[in-house]
Amino acid sequence: MKRTSIENDSHLLKEVSNELIEELREIGVNEEIIFDVHVGFEEALRNAMVHGNKGSEHKKVAVETKIEDNSVTIMVEDEGDGFVPESLPDPTHDDNLLLEGGRGVYLIKHLMDEVRYENGGRRLIMIKYLDRQHI
Amino acid sequence: MQINMEDMNGVTIVRMNGDIDINSAPDVKKSFDTTVSEKKDKVVINLKEVGYVDSSGLATLVEILKNLRSYGGKLKLTNLSAKVKGLFEITKLDKLFDIVPEEEDAVGTF
Repeated sequence: MKRTSIENDSHLLKEVSNELIEELREIGVNEEIIFDVHVGFEEALRNAMVHGNKGSEHKKVAVETKIEDNSVTIMVEDEGDGFVPESLPDPTHDDNLLLEGGRGVYLIKHLMDEVRYENGGRRLIMIKYLDRQHI
Repeated sequence: MQINMEDMNGVTIVRMNGDIDINSAPDVKKSFDTTVSEKKDKVVINLKEVGYVDSSGLATLVEILKNLRSYGGKLKLTNLSAKVKGLFEITKLDKLFDIVPEEEDAVGTF
């Protein structure tokens, strides 16, 4: 398991996600699964920085990643006020398609295999099952 | 992110190269300021060299579409990779955008 705490800077988001993506690539994970993890992880980090920590440079985002034989588990936790995921409007409803926001959590739910929120919505734990190519 | 714009027979073709994400989305949005202020009404965005789009990128494309529609402009997206197209399908944005396989097909069908 890897643990890190990052500054609330969207440019660091890429560094953290790229590190995990490279590790998955090195162990031969299917590129389609890597794409899903890439989007899911960056959406989670972005939500934590922008919506959770509200862009505050005084707050941090805690991250844990754990790669196992058949899965990768990712934990992202912000220092914000929390939220109720169920309260978000469905971005795929016809009336909401033209809204500019609200798709991050939806993408996470659809791209990852298991998703749960803890600590009042501040902590997100998500799991993606891995399918490795023979290398 | 590199953005290249070309006018071809009254159609504005925008070719993007790179990720459309939280870091590049503001530049992508800004690159359409002139297109919108000049009320260009036929716009094609070629996403062939875009391998990754996040929700900020999707939101920016929605905003560009809304701006074009505000004066009757039309937008077509072309050359989406299977993965990027999948994001449009998951979010149902494929119902909102006119997605055409190839740039040539889009230019000729306004």
